[in-house]
Amino acid sequence: MSVGIVVVSHSRALAGAAVDLAAQMLAGRDLRLAVAAGLDETTLGTDALQIKAAVEQVDGPDGVVVLMDLGSAVLSSELALDLLDDPTGRDRVTLSPAPIVEGLVAAAVAAAGGASRAEVAAEAVAALRAKREHLGEPDTDPGSGPAPGEPSAGTEITGRPPDEPAAHAEVTVENRHGLHARPVARLVALAREHDARLSLRNLTTGAGPAAATSPTQLATLGAQRGHRLQIEATGPAARQALDAVIALAHDGFGDDDRSAEPSAGLASVTANDSVSVTANDSVSVTANDSVSVTANDSVSVTAIGKANGLAAGRGPQAVSPGIGIGPARFWRPAPTRDGAVPAPRNGTGVSGPRPVGAELRRLHEARDAVRRALAGLAASTQAELGAAEAAIFAAHEAILDDPALIGPAEAEIREGHSAQGSWARAVDAAERAYAALADPYLRERGQDVRAVGDQVLAELTGAGAGGPSGDGVLVVADLTPAQAAGLNREHVTAIVLAHGSATSHAAILARSRGIPAVAGAGDDVLRLPEATALIVDGTAGLLLVDPAADVLARYRGAAAEEAERAAAERARAGEPAVTRDGRRMHVEANLGSVPDALDAARLGADGAGLVRTEFLFLDRETAPTVAEQEQLYRAIAEALPGRRVTFRTLDVGGDKPLPYLPTPPEANPFLGVRGVRLALAAPHLLRDQLTALVRVAREHPLGIMVPMVSTPGELRQVHAVLDQVLTAETDGTRPPGLELGVMIEVPAAALKAAAFAGLVDFVSIGTNDLTQYTLAAERGHPGLGALADALDPGVLRLVEAVCRAGAGRFRVGVCGEAAADPLAGPVFAALGVTELSVSPAALPAVKAGLRAADLTALADRLPACLALPDAAAVRAALTPPPP
Amino acid sequence: MTNSVTGAAIDGWLRAFARLVAEHEDELTRLDAAIGDADHGANMNRGLTAAAVALDELAAGDPPPAAGPRLTKVGMTLISTVGGAAGPLFGTFFLRMGNALAEQETPTALAAALRAGLAGVVQRGKAEAGDKTMYDALAPAVAAVETALAAGGSLADALAAASKAAEDGCAATVPLVARKGRASYLGERSVGHQDPGATTVSLFFRAALDSGVAG
Repeated sequence: MSVGIVVVSHSRALAGAAVDLAAQMLAGRDLRLAVAAGLDETTLGTDALQIKAAVEQVDGPDGVVVLMDLGSAVLSSELALDLLDDPTGRDRVTLSPAPIVEGLVAAAVAAAGGASRAEVAAEAVAALRAKREHLGEPDTDPGSGPAPGEPSAGTEITGRPPDEPAAHAEVTVENRHGLHARPVARLVALAREHDARLSLRNLTTGAGPAAATSPTQLATLGAQRGHRLQIEATGPAARQALDAVIALAHDGFGDDDRSAEPSAGLASVTANDSVSVTANDSVSVTANDSVSVTANDSVSVTAIGKANGLAAGRGPQAVSPGIGIGPARFWRPAPTRDGAVPAPRNGTGVSGPRPVGAELRRLHEARDAVRRALAGLAASTQAELGAAEAAIFAAHEAILDDPALIGPAEAEIREGHSAQGSWARAVDAAERAYAALADPYLRERGQDVRAVGDQVLAELTGAGAGGPSGDGVLVVADLTPAQAAGLNREHVTAIVLAHGSATSHAAILARSRGIPAVAGAGDDVLRLPEATALIVDGTAGLLLVDPAADVLARYRGAAAEEAERAAAERARAGEPAVTRDGRRMHVEANLGSVPDALDAARLGADGAGLVRTEFLFLDRETAPTVAEQEQLYRAIAEALPGRRVTFRTLDVGGDKPLPYLPTPPEANPFLGVRGVRLALAAPHLLRDQLTALVRVAREHPLGIMVPMVSTPGELRQVHAVLDQVLTAETDGTRPPGLELGVMIEVPAAALKAAAFAGLVDFVSIGTNDLTQYTLAAERGHPGLGALADALDPGVLRLVEAVCRAGAGRFRVGVCGEAAADPLAGPVFAALGVTELSVSPAALPAVKAGLRAADLTALADRLPACLALPDAAAVRAALTPPPP
Repeated sequence: MTNSVTGAAIDGWLRAFARLVAEHEDELTRLDAAIGDADHGANMNRGLTAAAVALDELAAGDPPPAAGPRLTKVGMTLISTVGGAAGPLFGTFFLRMGNALAEQETPTALAAALRAGLAGVVQRGKAEAGDKTMYDALAPAVAAVETALAAGGSLADALAAASKAAEDGCAATVPLVARKGRASYLGERSVGHQDPGATTVSLFFRAALDSGVAG
């Protein structure tokens, strides 16, 4: 017997052609296959009864895999399973999400070779992956092998006869860390591109064989640097596949870590080791901070210092000032192991047999959700840090598709177990296989399996994103905006981001919450033992691991001094900020949540200059309703009673795609459809948001601020939508407390700010984006921090131009990060800005800084500053000489 | 025939539905051309024409079958003859209705059968309110039947309310972005077009008014 295959298509011709393609691969071997396609020879459509008959025709003890084209094919197939004469039959049927042509070819070959139903289904799905990876990998040599289904000359072997000749080769592992996650992912991708079966043995240790399509099996080879691997290839493209693997091995399996020296990281240092700081590390550590760790100090710490220029390895960057001390904590999903399993989201209880199809679907939907999350992380990481750093997410995605995990999990589900229990046991087994390995580096790869496995479990159980494993210093790869928004500085004393950067959302949120943070600390920090003592200096960009007692004492002293100064500033936070020359400045808060707003009120905010609304829209499957939005906006406004609260309309782009607003991928999302451009492309979202805001504006002074505006025409279109909303909500009149403004982030908008007169009540300069666009220095680029400084005279001239245009016509504010910069804030004020909006935590210090400033005197010095060559020169000119 | 859901009444309703769909075939296809694959009208007409033939065969039986089996028969016919996604969706709707109604003839049983049919559509299509699908007309119509009957209304009142609710729900799909089916590939471009599936649902309830079932 073998697995039966059913082909469901709208078109009988299409199904027939797909079957012909698959038959080419079979070399006369038997295959149980039935077609249910079209209403007749020519009428397009699907017929559940036809599908039912086809399934019953090829059904047998080994079950059936159904491949479908689109739309009603899926619905009719599901319905057909409901109609089966034998109701237990549906448990033997897998409806495959695989693409019909590629999936059928792969499934047919697997089924004819005697594979199990799970294997056939996995092969079908993997067929899509091969094509995707092929197209997504521009450096893949297209000549390295024929496409699947395209037999090459000299290897006239089709199907997989058991006695087919095998090709062999041996390679030596040159990677410093052996065959770890990224090389494995490359090898798996390559194996899937070739119509050949590849297996590897570790000749040095005797481990194996391992299928090259399984990341888990490959990892269990324990292949370390210098080990000899034997590769065996069979199948139509055996020779080509073998050549490609040899080429990949010589290329370090696509990883460039062969000759790299260990970075100033922890790869070779366990927490119990203490090594002296090298002079190289300490060079940049002393900069602008009262705490100094120099080579002359006889301290025993592992310090990861700030990278000194582009060429040096990346170390932590300072992203949120302050000193945080505490035990290392990691992000943990809510516990979801079997035995303590929360009720499944749609579950009906734990007893009795489970509907196998539904459980399989739940598992696949959970994996799809995690896949989307990983793709998002990969995209943002690639944008911020580059392809090498993003590759880890491709490795995680490969784990998600690992037949060694999916196979056992699906097999258990078919025996009637829950999706989460089956998946958890498969993950546990894989993790144990890693734990048994000799090499500590490879043992740690089990954490990747655990990380991916836990994400899927969290999806399956609805357990949510989880949280830190305890109070202390949170060490994470990166945080989604939603995760970061939930952090509480009562529990998180500091944040260490392995990835991320100063301008990542996690960093911006850390600043807004006053949590000291460093970013870009590298993957090695993720492998620190739980509760390792850490010092994070978010001002200097320094991470100290397991510090000596005297170092810890000095940092505690510095932290105490900082706390004292902050307390003095907080005591006066509620008073207005009046400069020495008598100018009253509005100091407002940038917020993203109700707790932020309460913080802002407590810390003396004169209003909210920027309420980010993205958090309402991200990390969810459907758009928020008007009622939902209204409720949240009202809660924020009520936290700041009587004070103006300015909401920025949805500001996302291709870097943060919304599941319910599919947007094509963009080569450069920061120059793509984002901000107002997206809002105008999705007017229903804008209309809903404006409706909610208008309703709140009837009772609270409220500003609506439109992001990423380049031309007055865009704003007029927003006005038109607002007018529709006003007609529907208030008979066309604008609530008296409602103001409309734009964010100035585009240099062109700054230079022609006068064109917005009459259309706006205020403008707010978003210095983060304005600086990025003006200096053509990518936000978050680890090497361009010095360039991306809002005190660049070019940026200051744009601010000056906006203030000139606004004089007497509209108010000008600044809501970028630079508003809180102790040097930049007063400069903006001297140029004519009257409102600074900063993170709540920064309010007391910004007010204190303005009270100490003399804007008239500063204005006299500005023309000279505007003539300087760069931001560093401006900073030098404005920094008071040491006493 | 008032206030009783006999086999003959359902027969009349289903045939009136088939007639209305035939009259509106072009309109349905036009709606589908805007946001789908331009076959909804033709598909439904083909399916309901076959369903009418099947009803003829049933009606020849002695004794004539009750409402439930007629609905089941129409459901089975639609899943084999419509071809598009409307086949399994409307097919499931009528199958579930038929199974739920069986031999019963009371208006309350009809309301329960409509609710069962709606549940089948949701299970099959996984649509939610606002996805711009047949659900957006069907769900309010089913709720209207239940509300009207609960308030002591007659079957005729209930079906009139359902027809109004289906038409309102159908019109409300115009500004929505499609999130299911072929139309979802269009995203934003689906805005401004009425959903064809929802339109067919409104024809189904209008058919009740045109037939004997509403008294």
